[in-house]
Formats: sequence, C-alpha cells, structure tokens
Amino acid sequence: MSTKQPFRTADGGLIDRTQPQSFRFDGTRYEGFAGDTLASALLANGVRLVGRSFKYHRPRGILSAGPEEPNALVELRAGARREPNTRATVTELYHGLEARSQNRWPSLAFDVLSINSLLGPALTAGFYYKTFMWPASFWEKLYEPLIRRAAGLGRAAGHEDPDHYEKAFAFCDVLVIGGGPAGLAAALAAGRTGARVILCDEDFRLGGKLLAEKREIDARASSEWIADTLAELAGMPDVRIMARSTVYGVYDHGIYGVIERVNDHLPIPPAHQPRQRSWRINAKRAVLAAGAIERPIVFAGNDTPGVMLAGAVRAYVNRHGVLPGREAVIFTSGDDGWATARDLAAAGARIAAIVDPRPQIDAGLTALASRIGARVLTGGVVSAASGGRALRQVTIRDASGREQTIACDLLAVSNGWNPTLHLTSHQNTRPVWDEAIHAFVPGQMPAGLSVAGSAAGRFSLAQALEDGARLGSQAAADCGFAPTVDAQPPKTDPEGVALAPVWRVKDGKGRSFRGKAFVDFQNDVTDKDVELAAREGFKPVEHLKRYTTLGMATDQGKTSNIAGLAIMAEQTGKTIPETGTTIFRPPYTPVAIGALAGHHRGQDFRPIRLTPTHQWSKDQGAVFVEAGLWLRAQYYPRPGENDWLVTVNREVLAVRNGVGLCDVSTLGKIDIQGADAAGFLERVYINGWKALPVGKARYGLMLREDGFVMDDGTTSRLAETHFVMTTTTANAAKVMQHLEFCHQVLWPDLDVRMVSVSEQWAQAAIAGPKAREVLRGVVDAQHDISNEAFPYLAAREITVGGGIPARLFRISFSGELAYELAVPADHGDAMMRALMAAGEPHGITPYGTEALGVMRIEKGHVAGNELNGQTTARDLGLGKMMSSKKDFIGRLMAGRDALVETGRPSFVGFKPVDPNQRLRAGAHFIGVGKPAVMEHDEGYMTSVAYSPNLKHWMGLGLLRNGASRIGERIRAVDPVRNGDIEVEICNPVFVDPEGARLHV
Amino acid sequence: MRITCPHCGARDVQEFTYLGDASPSRPDGLEATEAAMFDYVYQRENPAGRHRELWYHGAGCHAWLTVTRDTRTHAIEAVEPTKRPKAGTAA
Amino acid sequence: MSDAATIPDADTIPDAARKLEWAPRGAWAELPADGHLGTPGAAGTTITARNGLGIASLIAAEGSDDALVQALKTRFGLDLPSTPLAVRSATHALVWAGPGQWLLVADDRSGFADDLQALSGLAAIAEQSDGRAALTLSGPKIRDALAKGCMIDLHPSVFPIGAAALTSIAHIGVHLWRVADGPDGAVFEIMVARSMAGSFWSWLSASVAEFGCTLAATGRG
Repeated sequence: MSTKQPFRTADGGLIDRTQPQSFRFDGTRYEGFAGDTLASALLANGVRLVGRSFKYHRPRGILSAGPEEPNALVELRAGARREPNTRATVTELYHGLEARSQNRWPSLAFDVLSINSLLGPALTAGFYYKTFMWPASFWEKLYEPLIRRAAGLGRAAGHEDPDHYEKAFAFCDVLVIGGGPAGLAAALAAGRTGARVILCDEDFRLGGKLLAEKREIDARASSEWIADTLAELAGMPDVRIMARSTVYGVYDHGIYGVIERVNDHLPIPPAHQPRQRSWRINAKRAVLAAGAIERPIVFAGNDTPGVMLAGAVRAYVNRHGVLPGREAVIFTSGDDGWATARDLAAAGARIAAIVDPRPQIDAGLTALASRIGARVLTGGVVSAASGGRALRQVTIRDASGREQTIACDLLAVSNGWNPTLHLTSHQNTRPVWDEAIHAFVPGQMPAGLSVAGSAAGRFSLAQALEDGARLGSQAAADCGFAPTVDAQPPKTDPEGVALAPVWRVKDGKGRSFRGKAFVDFQNDVTDKDVELAAREGFKPVEHLKRYTTLGMATDQGKTSNIAGLAIMAEQTGKTIPETGTTIFRPPYTPVAIGALAGHHRGQDFRPIRLTPTHQWSKDQGAVFVEAGLWLRAQYYPRPGENDWLVTVNREVLAVRNGVGLCDVSTLGKIDIQGADAAGFLERVYINGWKALPVGKARYGLMLREDGFVMDDGTTSRLAETHFVMTTTTANAAKVMQHLEFCHQVLWPDLDVRMVSVSEQWAQAAIAGPKAREVLRGVVDAQHDISNEAFPYLAAREITVGGGIPARLFRISFSGELAYELAVPADHGDAMMRALMAAGEPHGITPYGTEALGVMRIEKGHVAGNELNGQTTARDLGLGKMMSSKKDFIGRLMAGRDALVETGRPSFVGFKPVDPNQRLRAGAHFIGVGKPAVMEHDEGYMTSVAYSPNLKHWMGLGLLRNGASRIGERIRAVDPVRNGDIEVEICNPVFVDPEGARLHV
Repeated sequence: MRITCPHCGARDVQEFTYLGDASPSRPDGLEATEAAMFDYVYQRENPAGRHRELWYHGAGCHAWLTVTRDTRTHAIEAVEPTKRPKAGTAA
Repeated sequence: MSDAATIPDADTIPDAARKLEWAPRGAWAELPADGHLGTPGAAGTTITARNGLGIASLIAAEGSDDALVQALKTRFGLDLPSTPLAVRSATHALVWAGPGQWLLVADDRSGFADDLQALSGLAAIAEQSDGRAALTLSGPKIRDALAKGCMIDLHPSVFPIGAAALTSIAHIGVHLWRVADGPDGAVFEIMVARSMAGSFWSWLSASVAEFGCTLAATGRG
C-alpha cells in the first residue's frame, strides 16, 4: 500500500515528519506522523469513509476534529485490548495502531444493511415502540437480538482486560479545565500567585483551539506564546500540567472526576504503568476553559463523507498538515467560516465557492474571497450534498431560489459555536440562552467554578486571554493568594465573530424528497423525525430526546441538541429558550469502567482479611470461605475425602468424641474500660452485668433500639473496670459503631473507654471431651485449669508457652467441654502448632466453619441466619434474658404488642419424619394437607445441617407459635427446589439438651 | 462530598456513615414511655433545606458528628462533635 | 475427670525449650524478600518494614489526663498531642488516634511491658503490638505513589512534619504520620490492621511499581 499520504501538505503543521507511524485501518496499512490523530492520518491518506451509521447504515466520514465526533467511531486495538466506540478524532496515532470500522457487514464499502436506508419510513422516530409491539414474547427472543445485531455500535473485547488501571487523588487551590488560550492564561495568572494549580486538557498537546489557528499574540505567532506559557508553568513547582486528561464530572464540594489516558497512545502500556488513571481532584476553585463546539447545519445529505465542520477543517490544515479536500465549498452563517476558506487556500486547496446566507458581508471578507479566487454567494444556502461514499457535489440555492450544483470533494460547514458548558450543569443548573450570540451560555454556576473564554460564550481570542488572566487571578485570590502585579492581557490580531445561524435548510419548493437531512448523526435522527415527534405530541425536550433518541449514546448530542431544539421551536412556534434545553450529566465523554474500578478488580475487588493463623490453616489443607471480608477455613479435607460432607462429618465426630481445634480469630473483640464500664454494658445488653464476677464470661444479647436483635456474643470481666466484649464476625464493625453512638451521643457522661482489639489477638477454640488435656500441654504450669479451678464460663489472663501472655475463656459454641484461647497475634501460628502437637496423642482434628455450623445447630444456638434483623429476643427463645430492673437499648420497642404476641414465628427445631430426607434452609412451613400458598405460610427454616451424631438432617426455624407446638408435624415446602416434606417440630437443642457435657 | 471533621479536617464523604436527624433525644430510664420511645425511633422530619444530622467518622477518628447541611444543595454550614467535652476541660 | 493423670509432661518441659516452639510470626511474614520492585533503575520510593514494635492504645479518662500527660513527659519526654500530630523521641512516638486517644509506639518491643506498667491506671491501655502492620515509606516519589489511594492532601503546606491522620487507603483503614525528612525528602510512617496487611501490600506494591521501589528490612535478604 502506498505510504505517500496524498493529502498531506508539503510542509507546516504540528506534526513530526521525521517520525512516521505505521498503522492499520480495516486491515489496510497506512502511514501517518507523530502528532497525528487517527482521523488526521486517515484523511492524509485519503480515507474518508470511516463508518456506517447506527440505524440506516449510511456511509459516514469524519465530521469534527474533537471529542464531539458523532461518526468516526472505531474499534481500537485488537484481541483483549479491543475498545469499541473510540473517536478517531481524539485517538492519538501511534506506531502499530490497529483500528476497525464499526457497524458494517460484510465490509465498510459494501454493507448489506444499508438497505435500511430504503426502509426509512419504517424506521422513523419511535419505531421501536411502534414496530415491535406484539406479541410481547417476541421482544426477548426475536426483536431485541435482531435490533441489537442491526443497530449498534462497536463490539466489546469479550476477554478480561490485560491492562491495569489506577485511581489517584489530588488537591489544589485552582483547577483549570482546558489548556486553550483561556486555560493557559488562567493557569499562568493563578500559578504566578504561588497557588497550587492543576491544568487538565483532554488533548495530548496543549493549546486548545489555538493549535488549529494561525493567530498572532503580541505580534508573534500564537505557537510561541503557547510555548512560552508552558515553559513558565513548567518552572512553577506547585503547578501540575496534565495532558491527555479529561475532566468528566463535577461533584459536590469542589470534587472533579478526571480520566488521565496515561498510555492509550501506546499499543501496550510499559511495564508497571497503568493504561488509564482515574483522578479525583479536590479543588478549592476551578476555572472552566473548555472552549466551544462548532454546530453543523441540517440539510439533505449533510452526512455525506466530505461534509465537515469548518473549524475542524482548519485543525486538519493548520495543526496536522492535511488537506481534507482539494475542491472546497464553504457554507457558513458567520464570519468564522471565512477563515477556513483563507487557510485552505493558503494550504493549496481550491475554494470553489463561499456560501453565506447573510445578505450583507463585511467588506474585508469579500476582499479575502477575491484574493483567493473564491466565488461568493451571499444570501444563499447549500440545500443538498451528494456523492454516497464520498462527496461529489453540492447543490446551492441562491437568494432567489434558483439552484445550481458545484462539484467539490469538501464542504466546510460553519454555523457558530456552542460553549462547552457541560460541566457547569453537572450540579443541576440549567444553561441560559444568550440571544446576542445565538447560543446557550452557563447559567447559575456551581460553587467555586467560574467560566472563561469560549466556554462562557466569549468567543474571541482576546476575550479568552482576558477572561483567563482575570479569572485565574481571582480564583487564586479566593484561596488567599495575592494577585501579582499584572501585565496587561496580550494583544491579538483582529477576528470577526458576527453570526446569523441557519439551523436547517428545507427542501426547495416542489421538491418533495431530496434525501435525509440529519440532526443527530450518531443516532440517525433526521429533521423529519423531530417534526414527527412534534406532530405526535412529544414536544418537551425530554420527550423529544426519549422518543427520537436525539442526544443519546456516546456523544450525548454534542453536535445535535441545539439543532433539534431549533427545529422543535420552529414546529411549535416558540423560541429556542422557550423550547428548553437538556441539562448535562457526568460523564462529559465516555469513561471506561475499568478506570473507575482502578486497582479494585479480581483479587483486589475489596480487601481480604486473613487471620493470624491463616498460614497454618493453609498448611492443613483448608478450603476457605469468604465471611464478610474474612477468609475463614471452611473445612479441612483429607486425601480421599471427595465430598465436603464426608469431611465435615469427620470433623464433627472428632470434636464430639475427642477434641478439635478451630480458628475463631475473626470474632470482633472490643476492649471496654472505665468506671462506668459495667453500667454501660447494662445499657447496651438486655441482660445484667453489674453482678458478673471478675474472671467470668457471660453470654450477652443486644438489641437495636427498635427492639429487634442486633448481635450476640460473650463478654468477660477481666477486672472490676475492664471487660472484653466479643461480637459476631459479621457485625464487629457495626457493633463498634453502635457502642460509640451509645457512648458519644446517648450517654457522654459515662466513663467508658473503648477500642477494638480484634486485630491484636489470635483466638482458637479447643473443643471436645479431651480439650483440657490438650490445653494442659500449652498452658504454663502455674495456671490451674482443672474443672474446679477453672469452671464453665471462667475467663482469665494466663500465660502459655513459657510466659507468653494469653487469655483463656471456658466458653462453648459446640456444646462440648471447650475453651477459647487467645494469644497476641504474632503467636497465633505457633499456638495452633503447639496445640496440634499437644493434641496429637488425642487425635486432635482441625475443624472449620462448616463443622462449627453443624454443632451449633445440634445445640440450637442462634447465628447469622437467625439474627437476621427481623427477630426479637422472644422469637429466639431468649426473652427471659431481658432484665426488667434496668433500661437498655431496645427495651421499650421490644415490648410493643405486635412483638410480644404469641402468634409470632418463634424459634424451634425440625427433623424429617422420614430420617432419610434432606432438609433445606429457606423452606416454608405449611400445614399438612393445606395448599402451599401465602395465606397458609407459617414461617420458614433458617438453618439446616446433617448431624452425623443423629444420622439425619436437622433444622432450625421460625414457626408461628412454634414453642407450643413441639411434637406436631408440618410440611417444609421448598418450591424452588421442588421440596415438600413432612417434618416434626422439636426442641431446637438436638444434642445434650441438659448441657451436661459443658461442665465436665 | 467533603465533610470537615472538627478533629481530622476535610475528608471525603466515603470516610463517613450517615445516620440521620440529630434532633431526637433518647427518652432514657425505666420511666420512659413507649409512645415517647416510638417517636424517638421512628418520627423524623425530612426537610428540604437546613438539616442537623448525625454522621460517624468511622474511617477516621470514630467521632460522631453533628453536621448542619442543606439537603437541597449539600452545602454544609457547620460540623460539630456530638460529644461535647465536659465543662472546663481541654479536648 | 482427674487432671493429675492427664498432665503428662507440662512441668518437665523447660520453659526455654517450650518457648522455642513458639516462634512468632509477624504481620509482614508474607512480604517478598528485600530488594528492588517495579521499574528498574533508581528507585523513586523506599519501603521499610517495621517489625517488633511495641504499640498500645491509650485512652484518657475525660477531663483527667493531667497525670497521664505528666507520666508521658517524665518517662518518654513526649508531650501528649491534642490535635492530629505525632511526636517522637529517639525510641518512642505518641500519635494522636482520635479525641482523647493515642497510640504509644516503641521502636523496640522489649521493655514495652514496663512502659505500659508505668502508665497503668493513668489511661485505659490496650496493647496492639501484634494487631498493626507498620511500614516506613520514603523516597522522592512517595507522595505520588500514596496519591493512588490516599484521599487526604499530603502536600508539605498541609501535612507538615509531625502531622498525623486516620484515614483509609484502598478501602483499608490506615494510621499515617510524617516524621523528620530523610535524605530523599518526606518520610511517612503508616500502620494498617494486621488482617489487611496482605491486601494493603497488594495495593502498595502496585502503586510504587511505576516509580521503582527499594524494599528493606523484611527479615529476608
């Protein structure tokens, strides 16, 4: 393939001609230069057809040279790095770039579905709603897949993204958004005061619109002013310049969302670097200097490749050294388009005609036209463009209505500019119409944000420089940085900004159908669609948007909203401001989900907490389960155990018949001290604490203030004014927050001092008839742990392993003789190994959360499934614990009639009538012989397990009036898994109901 | 949003947990009535505008804070520790 | 059950021998060996593991911390900070940890029990030596690396030497303070909950890799 870039100018442009960059588009190899965008490089190679449109599959070319591009969307890169809907106009060219056009089949030049164009009448506004109405079942199976294939954008990669992304946080006094003349001036003014400044620009090169222009500042080329400004900014230590960084959102209190495309300009990011970085910038003040977006004109065939915004043409000519066409027609409703004629001509293109609908034109402009040999048609319009895949001619209608055609390969369209004010409305404020400039300008500003230059509707270079200097200085002053002695804003060469916009060119008289005239290129919305919406009553802008899809998808109507409004205004006889405007929401341009996730994906999706004995558990072959953030050992399979139930049964039997060892370090542990510590516990637990002797533990239950159970656990009194509370693993943080609330908000005068010590202690349960014998091997000899000296519920500070401080609690979740031994976390691993060694003669067996769960169900202990936020202490059979001698959190609300009525579902056990049948948690209880419908629902099964001791399944559940129905039979119905079995209601304590084993 | 913790300084809202209206005070003691407790637990104003509310700086100093915020604009007028030091003592 | 019959040899094992079996395993046991991480060349960041610290929470009784203030002054020469600050002596640091709450940090855990004994009764004391994983972070690029997760402003004008903060990084609670500058500029000490040391390391190692990092004092060379 040729690499000579036929549309590249001989010289000029901000490209590096010594650095050719080879790339592929739809498989064909081309060459561009460093400094190109993909769009400019394609144009340099004469590639004009770059995509097919969303609905009609019409051939589309490059419309713009910026982020507003609706047409030139490509799939960038290949394989797992493929990224759909990338705008060629802002894609920085790199060596080896690979891109493919979208939404075409089988090829871009020959697209089967372009027949949609001929089916136009069936695909007008609202066609989704009208065409695919019936039958409803067809939606999912037929219509939607069909629509999705035919109408769509690019394809996602379908593989895991191999690159990594980061988040980052930054702080500054002044954030300047946009690196054009206004932004550079603002950053300079603020930076000179010594303020901390961040300047963000979405482009890879700073200068903004100036890069596209041949302008003079202080009688020098504007490029020199940019270079000088950047050099001065670079010398300021507290100024940070962030290129390739888009400010996409404004949030409360001066927070700005920014995507930095760190390495999108390389095929693969260098090692240890992210592809993109998602910044959250906290700025005391911000200056929005985002420039403006040029507006197209709606006329027949205005989407033909070769029809381009006039400002974009200047960007390609002046910045990239590319001629977007050799035979150009200019269609401009203001002075600005004439500059395109001038620059094109200077670069060697022929200007066939300048069409300006205004009857009177500034004499300087007409002189320019004659200088470059261009015909001028004042009072005329371009009424059609044609050529299919590339522009061949335009039809011009003069002031008298006569039409003529002119051959050309480029039509540059200029219809004035819309301030890029999107960020000003992210805090829900609406732009307001400025009749003087025929555009919406920022309305009420979010706190701390000011707008400079074109973004404020002040379009001239002189205004941009003046605004930037003034607002940059003001922003710094607002942060307490005194303005420096100010130089006058630099002087600029003159420019014309007069404008009389033409929103659309209607078909000529008697010409019924000339072709489609597009308002929204990306969504294939035509002027006829807007008219149809008006006729069918979808007149408010929000209805217009939803009915026609105008302004949706990746460009969010950057080039289309205003024309859509104008046409609707014309249909309804209102003005544009009366018709309204949509407000913009974040993000300003599309943001990759990966960038928002940053580091937090896969293993790092959220933090993982590991216990101090994790390595020991791994060494024992544990299978782990997530419990909140924790990884806990679930069970410890041995070779040959292929079913987890086999393993769990072995572990349970080992504990009941010998001794087992379980890591319980994940329990929340809160150290509570102070003169009022006992009194505080009285207020947060339902039961009494003042009488608890030092050296003893007690089970406690706490309610929420609404009377429902919050959490449970054992709390031990280590000294008169010193307790250590345990919470469930799941609720540790929640309970801490609750206790802080009780202390700081409810009872600030109590002397109670709390701190979490969950992390300090590794804790293990040693359970089973042989537990004491094992423990004896690790506890230092001077501590008497005999049954007499250390009875059930004893809790003491001891030492182990020859002087290591430890805490020993004789408490039991399994119902066996059991202890919990806590040592400082560094010793946790050694504690487990020492206990294993000491227990070896007794066949000590590590057990995990599954076996723990089986044994607690065997003992009828409540756990997370029962402490589910809907149960009261009474429901769980713990009502007697509620003290009547004191006030406590939840006391009064727990006494409400509806919470004490006997019919409430209450806690009981269940066993299958046929002992071979399996129970299922979640099954609902229905009376025998009754239909399984809601009105017969009597409660549900909360927890089930297979008991290897009883050799059948057992369940716990909440059953209406359950406690008085022991011995009855009822059905456990589980429609999701086709379960419907008869169960017997029983005491929830299945094993050792007398609790004799605890006390041995 | 950013909340300026009186202890820690300006922090991202991610560090805080919201509870709600700061005005109800708990009817303490055995003599409190169910009706008063019901009001305390459930009755809340939901004003469009100035609102005094409780926030917990859980990822910071663990202080419960009383934040005066405009619910329409999120503008924060004041942030105070809910627990006031006893008279005559330093923080 | 008779205990006497089931105590086989508890008394016959010498304490010293038993202690050998109780080799401690610190919070950073899983860190890679000392050396260079990430982008080759001059390291922009340095991470030094801090093992063997003595750490305890001190919570004053409200309105009566005079005795505590005096004891800390006498024993460590340190003034109890009432705002988010960290004060340091040659061997100890006192770090603000919330209103009326501090961390006492001893560079060396031996002797820490005596330190705590000396303060007994003057504050609610809870030892946390094993519950925190601590690092020293430095290097010319350390602020850039921390910015990838730290939601507070570490600019010298805002976070001077001695500043301390409780905040979170990558959804992990951290206690962070700035100590005297080193040869490469700012030096931060940071602590995270021991259980999250692995996840914190995952974030930190990813965040410093871009700048290159020297990892030191892991105990594995």
